[in-house]
Amino acid sequence: MSDLVGGDGRTHIPSRLMRESLQNKKVLSGTDSDRDLQIFPDVSLVSIGGQSIFDRGKAAILPLVDELVQIKADKALKMVIGVGGGTRVRHTIAIAEDLGLPVGGMAQLVGAMEELNAILLNTLLAPHGSMPMQRDHFWDLPLYFDAGITPIAISVPPFHFWEPPPEEGHLPMHGSDFGLFQLADVLGMKQVIFVKDEDGLYDKDPKRHKDAKKFGKITLAELTKQMPAENILDPELFHTWQTAKNLKRIVIINGLERGQLTRALRGEDVGTVITKEDARG
Amino acid sequence: MAERTPVAERKTLDAALPRSDYKPTAVMPDVKVVKIGGQSILDRGRAALFPILDEIVEARKLGIQVVLLAGGGTRARHIYSIASELEMPTGVVATLGKYIPMQNARMLQMLLAKHGGLYILPDDFEKLPLYLQMGCIPVMSGMPPFGYWEKREEGSRIPPHRTDAGVFLSAEFLGSRRAIFIKDEEGLFTDDPKKNPAATHIPRITAKELTERGLPDVIVERVVVEYLPRAQWCKELQIVNGLKPGQVLAALKGEDVGTIISA
Repeated sequence: MSDLVGGDGRTHIPSRLMRESLQNKKVLSGTDSDRDLQIFPDVSLVSIGGQSIFDRGKAAILPLVDELVQIKADKALKMVIGVGGGTRVRHTIAIAEDLGLPVGGMAQLVGAMEELNAILLNTLLAPHGSMPMQRDHFWDLPLYFDAGITPIAISVPPFHFWEPPPEEGHLPMHGSDFGLFQLADVLGMKQVIFVKDEDGLYDKDPKRHKDAKKFGKITLAELTKQMPAENILDPELFHTWQTAKNLKRIVIINGLERGQLTRALRGEDVGTVITKEDARG
Repeated sequence: MAERTPVAERKTLDAALPRSDYKPTAVMPDVKVVKIGGQSILDRGRAALFPILDEIVEARKLGIQVVLLAGGGTRARHIYSIASELEMPTGVVATLGKYIPMQNARMLQMLLAKHGGLYILPDDFEKLPLYLQMGCIPVMSGMPPFGYWEKREEGSRIPPHRTDAGVFLSAEFLGSRRAIFIKDEEGLFTDDPKKNPAATHIPRITAKELTERGLPDVIVERVVVEYLPRAQWCKELQIVNGLKPGQVLAALKGEDVGTIISA
């Protein structure tokens, strides 16, 4: 318990930050430490690609749902699922761009396209136990896991009208890859598994280059030195990972190959495995 | 820091590539987006706040469209301090940081209700045309809705996007040229005027000049100074002294009072 402090025209609460400027770097560094609280360290986040999986329709979606149902039988494998938006997101952006909508307006619009895939997935998975999770209802997660219900999270981050002006161009920088990464990091999750339509991350687009080489297991530091320009994941994700404290492992697998997701969830090295050795990359 | 991929090669939002003939549309360019400081104004209570609200109501009667955003203040510093001790991730700290500006916005609404004060949520921008046409003064929290999705900044646990960022980003979305920050100082000085009486006032400075000074402390959140040069619409931040009678009204009328930080 502490008394209130006056004397300078303002009423303060005593704390280490009382009267301090939160722009002052010295003050800010006093709030930091090497670790973050890890809230759900045994949970994996599974991100299912929009363009790579959902846009392929039934042929790609149903076998993957089938595998998810099998995975759910093993209660020890805790997961949260997120989905990408795919072609409809690109179309939304193309029209919004032509109309000259501000970046915050585009960011506000795109989430709806991802949500459609979340509804599709949930409709297929619900008979086996799944539920769309409200935006940030993370504190329900223990209940979901206990009940054997797989939560489907909203993947687009809630930047909406407040999407910051991008470093270059005029398109939002924070899409679903970043959103799901951030969700896993803030909750201190075990790993993020990106389910795509390639066997992992390549040094160039394997759909266009026959000689593209796949990365096996690589550290973030090593990958940063040779970051592919054509990347299956959003660059903002890698940029944010540099300063993030919690997440240590990102796996990129092929959702068209049955069994890869199951193995990745069990912690096996499949596809491309990117790890971050120390807290500061 | 990661190397940034050149934009022509970068995949943004599932491979959408930016077009070169983008012609931005301003959503509501006549709106004045105004922040009422937390520590600098609201924590001072009635003595500081009431004269400011009088000037805002006067501006509204002149037909000036105002949207008010509230800052946090000492209660935010208190919860940030305890959450930091507990080693909470920045996203959790940012979520905790939403509640105090929300309280402050609600206080402002109660005081302004008789003059059309209306509490609005972040997603209510779409209703602003109606509210403003009816002569209302919409009031909202200045905290951006990033919450758990707030990125960590190296060497800090405090969310880098706080209520200054929310004010700037609101002005930028609405297409407003200038974001107005009501604080308890007339803007920038060559030194801390509270400690050094010889410090002189800086009426105008660019974001680049401000960054180049490499000050250990700045009057607005660093991300705002970083974003300003790349904004499409909000090219100026105006910092005014709410304790000085007439300055808020002058700013709302578009006069160059206080300090203007430009892109």
